[in-house]
Amino acid sequence: MKSEALKGNQMLGVVAAFAGWVIPGLGHLLLRRWSKAAVYFLCVGGLASAGLAMRGGVFGAGVADLFDRLGFIADLGAGIFYFLAHQIQSAGPDVAHATGDYGTRLFAAAGMLNLLTVLEAYDIGRGGDDR
Amino acid sequence: MNFLFGSLTHFEALLFFALVVSVTFAFLSKRGIAERVKYSLWAFLAFLLVAIGIGWLMYPFSQ
Repeated sequence: MKSEALKGNQMLGVVAAFAGWVIPGLGHLLLRRWSKAAVYFLCVGGLASAGLAMRGGVFGAGVADLFDRLGFIADLGAGIFYFLAHQIQSAGPDVAHATGDYGTRLFAAAGMLNLLTVLEAYDIGRGGDDR
Repeated sequence: MNFLFGSLTHFEALLFFALVVSVTFAFLSKRGIAERVKYSLWAFLAFLLVAIGIGWLMYPFSQ
């Protein structure tokens, strides 16, 4: 669903991508893609919230291991959910149990999914083909 | 949220993951409601099929 199209340019693409990274779906909201904005917010937010509710681990910036660094990049993709992870997950992570381990993967998947939506927001913002 | 997701089994977590990712992929790659619904269902079933298939393949190693 899209209403009147915005004229795309590089700056709009960058702003939409940044907004979409900070708050999943916000980039599409700025570009007037209402249904996509709602779906992306619910899907990324739902996946990230589920990961945190399952007491999944969230990788910090100061990690030495390569896989942990990749995990950090994936987690960072979730935007505001990454920065609010400690507030949302008041009990802290518990990856000693299987549920916590699943939660870690769900949160990382939310971040990766959001990075895909960010790329799409950038593309639409700069006037690319809108699906 | 804890009461919803705190005690999911592996399979329930898989169902939730497959549903959410399928819907997002459908919105990223398809245009129109019919196409998106069709793609979501297809991707959701593919996720389940592959996961159950891999589960079957790994089962002998768990003994």
